[in-house]
This record gives sequence, C-alpha cells and structure tokens, in this order.
Amino acid sequence: MRGNPRGCFRTPLIMICCFVQPALVSAENLLDEAEFSALLETRFGWETERDELQFGEAVFTPEVNMRLGESVKLNGIFRFRGDTEDRLEPGRPSEDNRDAISERAFVGDDVDIELRELYLDIDLEDAFVRLGKQQVVWGEADGLKVLDVINPQSFREFILPEFEDSRIPLWTVNAEIPVGEDSLVQLLWIPDQTYNDIPDSDAAFAFSSPRLVPRLPAGVTVLSTEFDRPNSFVEDSDAGARFTTFLDGWELSANYFFHYSDTPVTRRRLLPGGVAVTQDYERTHLLGGSFNNAFDDWVVRGEVGYSTDRFFITEDAGDSDGVVKSGEVSYVLGLDYQGITDTFLSAQLFQSFIADHEDGIVQDQVETSATFLVERTFENETIKLSLLVIQSLNEGDGVVQAELDYQLYSDVNLTLGADIFYGDEDGLFGQFRNRDRITFGVTVGF
Amino acid sequence: MIRENAFARRFFMAVTAFPKTVLFFSFLAILGAAAFLPLLNKDTTPDAFIAADNPAVIYRDKVKEIFGLDDPFVVAVIDRRERGIYNPVTLGLVQDLSEQLGKLRNVDPDRVTSLATESNIVGTEDGMEVDDFYELGTGRSLDPAALKAAIEDFPLYQGALVARDGSATLIVAEVIDHTLSQSTYDEIRAIVDASILPEGVEVHVAGEGAISGFLGTYIDNDATRLNPLTAVVITLVLVVAFRTFAGALLPNIIVLATAAAALGLMAAFGVSFFVITNGLLPILIGIAVADSIHVLSDYYELAVTHPELSRREVIVRAMQRMYRPITLTTLTTIAGFMGLFIGAEMPPMKYFGLFAAIGVTAAWFYTILVLPAAVTLFKVKPSNAFALNKSTDVYGRLMTRFGHIVLRHPRTVVAVVAAVAITGAVGASRVIVEESQIENFQRDEPIYLADQVMNQVFDGTNYIDMVVETPNREDLFKPDNLARIEALQRYAETLDGVQGSTSVVDYIKQMHKAVNENRQEFYSIPDDDFLIAQLFLLYSTSANPTDFEEEVDYDYRRANIRLNLNSSLYRSNREVIAALEDYVAKEFIDGGMTVNLSGRVYVNFHWLNTIGDNHLRSLTISLVLVWLMASLVFRSALAGAFALIPVGMSILLIYAVMGFSGIWLGVGTSMFAAIAIGLGIDFSIHTIDRMKELAMTGSGSFDERIAPLFPSTGRALFFNFAAIGLGFAVLTTSEVPPLLKFGVLVGIAVAAAFIASMAIMPALAKLLKPRFIWPEQAPHSDAVGLKPSSVKAAVAAIAMTGIALLAVAGKADAEDLPDGREIMQRVVDRDEGEWVTRTLIMEMTDRSGTTRKRETAAFRRYYGQEKRTVMFYKSPTNVKGTGFLTYDYPEADKDDDQWLYLPALRKVRRISASDRGDYFLGTDLTYEDMKKENKVALEDYDFTTIGQEKVDGHTTFIVEGVPVSEEIANELGYSKAVWRVDSAIWISREAEMWDVNGNPLKTIRSTEIEAVDGIWTVHRIHVENHKTRHQTLFRFGDIDYKSEIKDKVFKTRNLKRGL
Repeated sequence: MRGNPRGCFRTPLIMICCFVQPALVSAENLLDEAEFSALLETRFGWETERDELQFGEAVFTPEVNMRLGESVKLNGIFRFRGDTEDRLEPGRPSEDNRDAISERAFVGDDVDIELRELYLDIDLEDAFVRLGKQQVVWGEADGLKVLDVINPQSFREFILPEFEDSRIPLWTVNAEIPVGEDSLVQLLWIPDQTYNDIPDSDAAFAFSSPRLVPRLPAGVTVLSTEFDRPNSFVEDSDAGARFTTFLDGWELSANYFFHYSDTPVTRRRLLPGGVAVTQDYERTHLLGGSFNNAFDDWVVRGEVGYSTDRFFITEDAGDSDGVVKSGEVSYVLGLDYQGITDTFLSAQLFQSFIADHEDGIVQDQVETSATFLVERTFENETIKLSLLVIQSLNEGDGVVQAELDYQLYSDVNLTLGADIFYGDEDGLFGQFRNRDRITFGVTVGF
Repeated sequence: MIRENAFARRFFMAVTAFPKTVLFFSFLAILGAAAFLPLLNKDTTPDAFIAADNPAVIYRDKVKEIFGLDDPFVVAVIDRRERGIYNPVTLGLVQDLSEQLGKLRNVDPDRVTSLATESNIVGTEDGMEVDDFYELGTGRSLDPAALKAAIEDFPLYQGALVARDGSATLIVAEVIDHTLSQSTYDEIRAIVDASILPEGVEVHVAGEGAISGFLGTYIDNDATRLNPLTAVVITLVLVVAFRTFAGALLPNIIVLATAAAALGLMAAFGVSFFVITNGLLPILIGIAVADSIHVLSDYYELAVTHPELSRREVIVRAMQRMYRPITLTTLTTIAGFMGLFIGAEMPPMKYFGLFAAIGVTAAWFYTILVLPAAVTLFKVKPSNAFALNKSTDVYGRLMTRFGHIVLRHPRTVVAVVAAVAITGAVGASRVIVEESQIENFQRDEPIYLADQVMNQVFDGTNYIDMVVETPNREDLFKPDNLARIEALQRYAETLDGVQGSTSVVDYIKQMHKAVNENRQEFYSIPDDDFLIAQLFLLYSTSANPTDFEEEVDYDYRRANIRLNLNSSLYRSNREVIAALEDYVAKEFIDGGMTVNLSGRVYVNFHWLNTIGDNHLRSLTISLVLVWLMASLVFRSALAGAFALIPVGMSILLIYAVMGFSGIWLGVGTSMFAAIAIGLGIDFSIHTIDRMKELAMTGSGSFDERIAPLFPSTGRALFFNFAAIGLGFAVLTTSEVPPLLKFGVLVGIAVAAAFIASMAIMPALAKLLKPRFIWPEQAPHSDAVGLKPSSVKAAVAAIAMTGIALLAVAGKADAEDLPDGREIMQRVVDRDEGEWVTRTLIMEMTDRSGTTRKRETAAFRRYYGQEKRTVMFYKSPTNVKGTGFLTYDYPEADKDDDQWLYLPALRKVRRISASDRGDYFLGTDLTYEDMKKENKVALEDYDFTTIGQEKVDGHTTFIVEGVPVSEEIANELGYSKAVWRVDSAIWISREAEMWDVNGNPLKTIRSTEIEAVDGIWTVHRIHVENHKTRHQTLFRFGDIDYKSEIKDKVFKTRNLKRGL
C-alpha cells in the first residue's frame, strides 16, 4: 500500500507544470516573483499525570508564494516535523487511511515530512479556480464540525491543535463562480481518497471511548480484521456545491456534499469460534446551510447539516453487525461578543439528533455540547490570553484549553498552555482524563 | 448539629467529588480577578486622602488657578561664612542653579523664583526703575554690595527670599505635574550634588512640593520591598507548623486568591492603590493564612488519629468541623472592617475597610472550596508535626502548660488583665492626634534635614494663603482696602509660628518709597487710588507684568496674602488658623471685602482635623458591628460582649503604647483599631466556639473539659498569631517610620488578642460559668454549637454582605479667526481620491523600547458615500495572510460590516463592528482614527478655533473639539481634541487628545505630507500615547490613486485568496 514517498508527489507536480507552462515567462522572473517564508516552532508538552514529556517537537513549515503571470499564483507549504518522544504517533503509522498521493514521508520513527498544500490560484476575471492540494472550510462553527467535513482530520493530538494543523489537505478542484452582485456558487471535486488519521492503540491519544471503539463481549476472539478504503479515482471521489449570498447584513449559505464519512465503520460478523471484523468507509449525502450577522457588539452565527447515512456503534449483542444506520441532524448556534475592550467572548451550542435511534446505540438520541471561549489581549496586543471550554452536556465530560501567547518580537512568539480533560472515561473527552498536559512553545518566523 | 453536619457533609462531599472542576473554576476566578490588575492605578499623593469635593480642596484649586500658587520645591543656598551669600561665587551659584532648575522637564521655567530672577524697585529722579537684582552694578553687572543694600532696603524679600541675616537665599521652583515629583526631586538633587560648593556653603532641597511628592513614593517603595518578605516569613511559620510541602503551599494559594480578589476588584472598580493600601496586603495574607491553618491543623490531626480513612474522607470531616468557626470569624472580621468603611471619611481608609472585607470574604470562599478540593486531588502527605506517637508537639505542650496556669489561677489572670486595661485607659488619655508629613521621613534623610534648616534660617516653608476678594474691578487700588489687608497681615504676624507674610501691599509700599527718592517715611500705602494705579502702571512699563501674578489678579479685584509658618505640625497651626478665622469673622463682616483661607497648611488642617473623629467613629462602629455579629452567631448578647474582651484588651494596650511612647494618632496609626478588631476577633471566636463544644461534649470538671482547648485550638491559634504577628513584625524593619509604627502596633494588637483569648476567656469562663458556654441542664450532643438555621443565616449573611459590598464599591465609582467648524468642514471635504492602493508599515514601540513591526498592503474604494477598505498582512510570518475587510456605511446609525480572515482557521470570520474608541490592532490609533484618515466626523464635536501656531514652519489654525455629549466622548475615548490644521492643504499636522478624565492621552504628528497624483497625502504618522508610553509609527508607501481597484477585491471571498 505504501508508495515511494518521493514518487507520490511526482504525478501531480508534472500535471501542474504542464498547465503552468504557458504562463511562465522565464525561470528568473519566476524566482523574482517568489516569496519565501517559514515558521520554526519548538513545542514541548508535559503530561502531568505521567510526569514526563508527551512530546518535544520541532516543526519547520516553509511556504512559497509565487506569481506566475497576471492571473495565476502558486502556493506551497511543506511541513517537517520531528518529535523526540514519539508517543503521539509511535513508530511509523501504516497510513492505510491515506491515498497514495497524500501520504507522508518518514525518516526513522521520529521525523515526518508532508506536503501540506500545493495549489494554483487561477483568476478567470469573475470566476476563480483553486487547483491542487488544499484545505476547504465550510461552516461557521469553531472547534465543532457540522459542515466542516470536506477535509479529514488528524487525531494524533485529538482535537487539541488548531484545525489548520490537524486538517489533512486534499487534492481538490475548487471553483468559485459569482452569481449577481453578492452571491457565489462554489463547486468541489475531490478525487483524493484520504480519511481521518486515527491514532494506533499504543498512541498517547488512542481512542478508547465506546462511542468510537466498539467493545466486543468478553471472551470473544477476533478471528480476522479486514480494512478497506475506497480507491477508485473517479467513482470514489467526493463532490460538493455551495451557494452563498449576502443579503441585508446576513451572510447565508446552502451546502450539499456527497462524500465518504472520514471515519471507518467497524462491523463484526459472528463466525464459529469468534468474530471477523471489517472496517470500511461509507458514503453519505450532507445537506445543510449556515448564516451569520452582526448586531452592535454581537455576532450571531449558526450552521445546520443533515447526513443521510451515518453508522452508530451499538452495544446490542443481538445486532448482526454491531452498527446501526440512521440519518443524523446536527447544528451549532454561536454568539460572539466584542463589547469589552480587547476582549472576545464566544459561546456555542451544539446538538445532534439521531433520526432512527435504537436502544443499544452507545450515544443518546439527542446529544448536546456547549463551548465557551474567552480571549483577551494586553499591552497593545503583545499578550494574548485565551481560554476555551468544550463541555458535553450529556456525559458531563469536557476539555479546557488555556493559552498565554506573548509576542516577544515581531517574529518571535512564546506560548504557554494547559489542556485539561475531565469527566467519565467513557466520554469523548473523559477518555483522555489522564492526558492533561502543560505546553510551552517558541515560534520564530522567517 | 446532626442535620447541619449532614448538610455540611453533603456540601463538602460534593466539593471533593469534582476536585478538578472546583480547582479549575477557582483558578479561573483568580485569573479573572487578576486580569484586572494591570488596570490598577497607583495614587500615592497626599491629596488622595481628602475627598475631592472637600471645600478646602476646591478652594485651594481655585487659588492655584487665579494666582498660580502651588506647593513648590525649595532649594536653599546657605553661606555660613562671615559675609553670607553676598559674594560673587555664591551669587553665581544661585544664578547657575536657577537656570538649571528652569531647564528641568517638569519645572515651569516661568515660575522659578530666586535672587537671580527677581527685580529691585528703586526710585530715580523721574520716578521709579525696576532692575534685575543681578544688574545693579556698573554696566548692569553683578555687584554683591549693591545687591545687599537693595535687599536690606526691600523688606518684602527679607526672611522670605533671603535670610534676615543674609546667610542664605532660596530658589523656589514650581512643578508642572505633581505626580512626577519623585523624579523631579531626584533630578534637583542630582544638580545640587553636581555643583561645586565653596567651603562653608551648603545647598538643601525641600519644600512642600518635594515633601508631598516624595513621601508617597518613599513609603510605597519601602512597602513594595517588605510585602514579599512578609509572605516569606509567613511561609516559614507554615513550614514550622506543618512540616509538609502542601501545608506551606496551599495557604499561599489562598493568599494569592485573596490578594487577587481584593486588588483585582479594586482595579475593576477603578479604586486607586493608595499609600496605606500597602498595609492591606499583610492583613489579607494573615487572614487568608489563618483560615487555612485551622483547617489543615484539623486535617493533619484527624489523619493521624484515623489512618484508616481516605484523604477525601479526612478532609471532609475536617471541613465539617472547621467550616463553622471559619465562617463565624469571617463574618465578625467583615463586621470589623465594615466599621472602618462606614466610619472613615478619607477615601483611602474607606476603601481600605471595604476591600479588606472583600478580601476576607474571598479568603473564606477559597478556603472552603480550594482547600478540600486540593487535598483530595493531590497527595497531601501526613505531617510529622502530628505524628501518632507524640500526641502533640512542643508548641502543643507549651500551650497545655499555659492552660494549666490559666485554669489554676483564674483570678490572677483577671487581675493582670484589669491592670493592663487601666494602664490602657490612662494611655489613651495621653494619645496625641497629630500628623506631619515631614515626620514620616527618617531623621537623617536629606529632605528632613533640609526642612529643619530652612525653617530655622527663613521665615518658614509652610504656607497659609489668605485670599482677599473685593466686589469690583480695580477695588484694590483703593487705599482703604489695602489698609485692611495690611492690618490683617500685621495681625497674622503676631501669631505664634507665623514668621512673615507677603502681599501686594508690600510691593505698593516699596514702590511708593521708590518714587519718593527712597525715603523711609514713604514706605506706606499712598492715600490716593489714582497714584496706586499709576504705580502699578509704572512698574509694568519697566518690568515683567507677570511679576505680581502671585499676589494680585489681572483685574485688581482679588489679592493673596501668603503667610510663612515654621512648623507643619497640626497642633500648633490649629491655633493660628482658629485665630485667623476669628479675626476674619470679626473684621470682614461688611460686604466690601471677603477673606478665605487656603494653602497646604490649611488644607492639611482640614483633613487632620477629622482624624480623631474618624478614629473614634470607626472604632465605635466596628465594635458595635462585631458585637452584633458575634451575638448573632452565638445567639447570646453576652457571648457577643465576651468575644469583645480580647479585642478591647488589645486596643487598650495599644493606646497605652501610643500614649506612653508618644506615637501620634495619625493617618496610618488611626486605622489600627479597626484592623486590630478585624484580626483579633478571630481568636475570640475560635476560643469560644471550641470552649462551647468542649464544655458540652467533654466530661468531668470544668478544667478537665476545657483542657483540650490548649493543645488543639490553642496550638492552631498560636500559629495563627505567629503567622500574622511575624508578618507585621517584618514591617518593623522598614526604613519608613509610619510603616514601622504600623507594624509594631498591629503586631502588639495581635499578640494581645491571642494571649487574652487564651488567658482571660478561659479564666472568666471558669469564674463566671456563663450560660452560653456552660448550660445548666445536662448537655446533649445535639445542643452543641450553632443551630442549623444560624449557620444558614450566617452563610446568607456573607453572601448578602458580598453583594452589598459590590454594590457599594460599584458607586465608588478669537478674533478674526475662521470658525472651527468651517475649518473642520474643509478638512472633511478634502479630496481623498476615489480609490487608493498603498502599503502601510506599522512600528509599535513599547515603553521598554521593544519594537514590533507589521507590514500590510491596503486598498480603499468609495462607492458613493460608502467606503470599503481591505488590508492584508504581509509580515511578520505568524500573521501573514491575515485579511481585514470593512464596509463603512454613510448612515450614522448603521454599523460597519467587518470580516477577518485568519489563515490559522482558513476561514473568513464575521466580526462585530469595532467600538470606535477601541485601539486598532494593537496600535495607538483607534478604529475611528484609522477609518477617518486624518479627518473627523463633524457631528461628534463642537469646534472652536482658539488660535494660530506654526508647526514645522507651516501656519496652522488651532481648532479645539469637544465631544457634543458625554456619550460621544465615551465612545471616542476623548474628552477633548485639539488639531493644528494647515490651511494651505486642510490637513492636521499635529493633534492632541485628552482622555475622558481630562488627562493628556496622546499626540499625533503627521509629517512627510506630499502631493501624490495631485492629492495631498500624509506619508508618516507618529502617535505617542502619554499614558502607556507606547508609540506607533505609521509609514505609507507605494501610494497610487490612479489604478482602479476592482470590486471583487472588497468581497469576502477575496480575503482568503490574499494579495
């Protein structure tokens, strides 16, 4: 399954170069127009319960922006990451979930190299096309996903990092076509069959909650495990469309996305002497919409989505395969307040509803969570203090992320943070109750 | 008891069930309160002690405005040689120092007065001549002999500017901003130290300005040094008491929380940190530590006696037992401090009481929440101090022995205490109410010595100003009126302590003599108002017309008489002020003339006058409140009175110390009573509560039942006392006398309260067997302590007090010049082009000199009146790609639409329209400033043109804008703005803004103004914020008004595409 890491970049690069050729004036001009920048981030996380480092990372992220003629731009971002502890992704992950064109390269167990983004921006007077490996973000919610499901996510640090860093960019054709004065249609085609990175069972943030990992009855042996990822370039690609408009201060969107859910569905099959386990990905239609508007110091925003085919783990021993299929509606309502000088307050309510709920399903029919965010800057924005609380109202578990960021110089930031999980160990957040950590980082820009 | 305990148990089980949550929210609350700390404003000026609406202060400020009189810095040059100062070298020194002083940043160069700046009035053949004292020699040279003769012939200056024996002279300098007095004092000292002094010549620096300005910082610096030391000492006590890491750490966390709550709320409610607020910290530390000492003592004790129980169970049981006395002491301590809040008139004392009460509430709150949660969560090891094999340690045994003695000789104990009480009463009668700022310095401080010397050699550097007011202009030309002024002066000079006086009359007499060939018999008031007017006119033609500014106003309607006194002591000056007020009441009763008193001495008299009353009032209120509270919690008025005994003892003892050692009842010391009550009452409450419990549950004789009080509660109280007592003992190492005294007195108070509660209370209880401790019927376990309802009432009372405290704190809270509006209309109408593309570099420099730089590219386009702007960050890398888009609508009531693209989110985010007065992305310009680009919203201000001025060689109109309403002022963040508008290009070259409190806020300088594509364009804007001392430099480049900017650049979808 795993290809040559260099080879996996070659095909798309050649494609891009061919396309770009007419726009090239000369190699020299090209370099003149290129802008290089980079971030070097050193991070340490101290796991309080174990009293030892969870990670000690150096992350180097070079970026290039290049103008290739009047209406074409090339952008590329690489990421080199080394971790002294190797606990977040112990050894070399198999990367079965990734398409060959989106795999990472590994140097030893501790270093991974990834082409994060590489795309062309093509300005066609009114319309706009972004072609290549990129992130596409839909929706209005922060830290919660209803419509923001275009890109899969890496869960190596669960949901703690910024989504920018944890989203896995996909090779995508992204076209935006204005309609009238204030409206826009966006069309997506994603032939990249890469799905969520889920940590191995020996990783620091390995999933253990029964909502995510099915539990087999005691004494049952697993006879075989089978993993299957869609891999037909056209047939298995994802596609979506979004219409957005700006009306009387309201920004509205209607979204449709036909895609594979990024988490595999685990099914069991009873055989004499044990069970056979299969994992594969399932398609679903996502229909939804979003809105936002500002009133005085307040911003209200929200998004809603209906997925036709979702699969939920059930503990009903009589169930034939251990999962139940149902439609699911979920929505987020958010309220931001900026009426206090230098301060940003935000609260969000998230609810999901399983249409055909059955008793054995390990989560409630209606699940509610809330998030609360406070950010405040001091000393002319050199110091930023932020606090994010995500709380599940069904299970009572949650996570608190506090961070202090100090801009020492224009290009040097120091950060000090704490991530604290609490609640029942079966909960989505409570499963990491022993993973509380204190982080420290230095970021230098070039 | 059972029901109540069941409730307490449920509560503490709940607290310990979610220790992480409790700790998290507690820390959140600490951080929340601490987040306000940067807003805390220090006000160490003596004026802070007087309510701003006190008539004396209002009048003093008026005098300052009319006559420009202020508390000056005074530099004395003393020449102890035979000829005194009248020699070229010393006079040269005076001139030199005068010049250097005038150049200091904070010194008003026009208001430096010395021999080198003043003029002599002499008669000539054709009238009168006014010459500089330094130009009396031939060819306008300095002639010491002539100068000496002139001064001797000019009574006005004798004793005031020059010592009567000619051995010394003064240089008087007035400062512009008193809050900078400390640095000005240092600068003046540096100048003096750098001067080369001939043998026998001394230079001293003093004056009310120096003393007032310097005092606050002097005390504050010392306290800032000592308060951390207090924390260290208290931690040491904790280490000795518990000998565990947690035992030392946990109380410190409570301390941190308490201090954060008290100081954070002070900041949040805009209450300043005053000089005496320094005393608040050791008190809060002491109280916060005391609560935790009692809980932890019980915890460790239980852990030893019940090793089989879990940590959680042990702490829950300890809390069940201790929450009651802790709650009770909190309530009574709050009551004590509220006495200060209600009784005191001086704002710093009021707030001291209020925020001490708030701090105590916070300490209680954190003790009952954080302590059990922390003990449950962390591995709190058992303490060696409570090891099982020795049921108690040396401190416990010591207390046990002490208890034996007390219980064996109760009558002796009562007799000793009675003797102390009598001594205290005698001492109290000897306590003197007095305060003198200069006495706050150590005797060997240069400023103290200087003050001594000056008041010996000169007529005195303490001033009373008497303002004489007449009904009509030029009434002061009338000889009758001048004669009355002179009579008042002569009377004043007969009073003890008044060494001299100055008024306009002295000048008139001098001039009258001068125009009459300097004949002494003409040293009088001329009997002709026309001649008097002539004399003033004559003077003004040959000298600086502002020379009389300090003595008479521009209309000759009001005059000032300044009296020099050689003492700043309240007691001596009180007599002078009373005599003057009497005289004025008798002699100035007709409508013709009124006299009002002012000046530093008078203002100080006013607030010192209230110290004694304040003290008694707050003492009484505190005692009554504490008694009420103690009576309530013990359900017995007698028990309430009983609880007051140790407190009363400690107060009497302090009176004795003050009375016999001559410590004054001044600003700092007057608060000791309320503090002693607040701290001391805790000992009583713990003792009574435990005695009750022991008497009920124990068996045998009274002595047998009470005996366990000493090794358990007694030991805890001992460490409670040790922590607080030693904390205050640290203050005794202070170099500042008032802090030292404060430390000594409170230390004594706490010691006395501790000893009294351990001695007199058990002794009296044994002798009197009061019902509230020793019920006649056989005791039942459920009769012990408080009824459940009373605890609930107590908790409710704490909550109510907290709410009430917050509510109270919340209260505390020209000719031919074009019309200003026309000018600003032209500014607004200035062409800006339909669109513009440009780069903008922002360099932000903080007060330490660290500079941050941000480079952006910006686009702006008008759609009719609607303006759209978009800005992209190009560097630094960590914000690169950030985009900021604004639609600014012409309708005043329609908010802007704003979006922010954050590359970290890969998402365009809708943000609410920024408040106009908020600072734009960390710079020193507000969103409104940025949006208006060197223009203003005309509807926001009333404009007045106030003059013309050259800025960078360009003539500008000075236009003053005052926001049309308070609401607008608050929105903008400005109470006033002044623009200097270049009428050739209608751009403001320099603007100044004042904050809503009227303080200078910032200065905006626009330079490198050039025409680009025919449009006048500012290329460089420098903004300096005077409050934060933060600066921003905006540099605009690559400006292009010609290239059309496409519509799509201003669409949200474009934000994420970047440049």
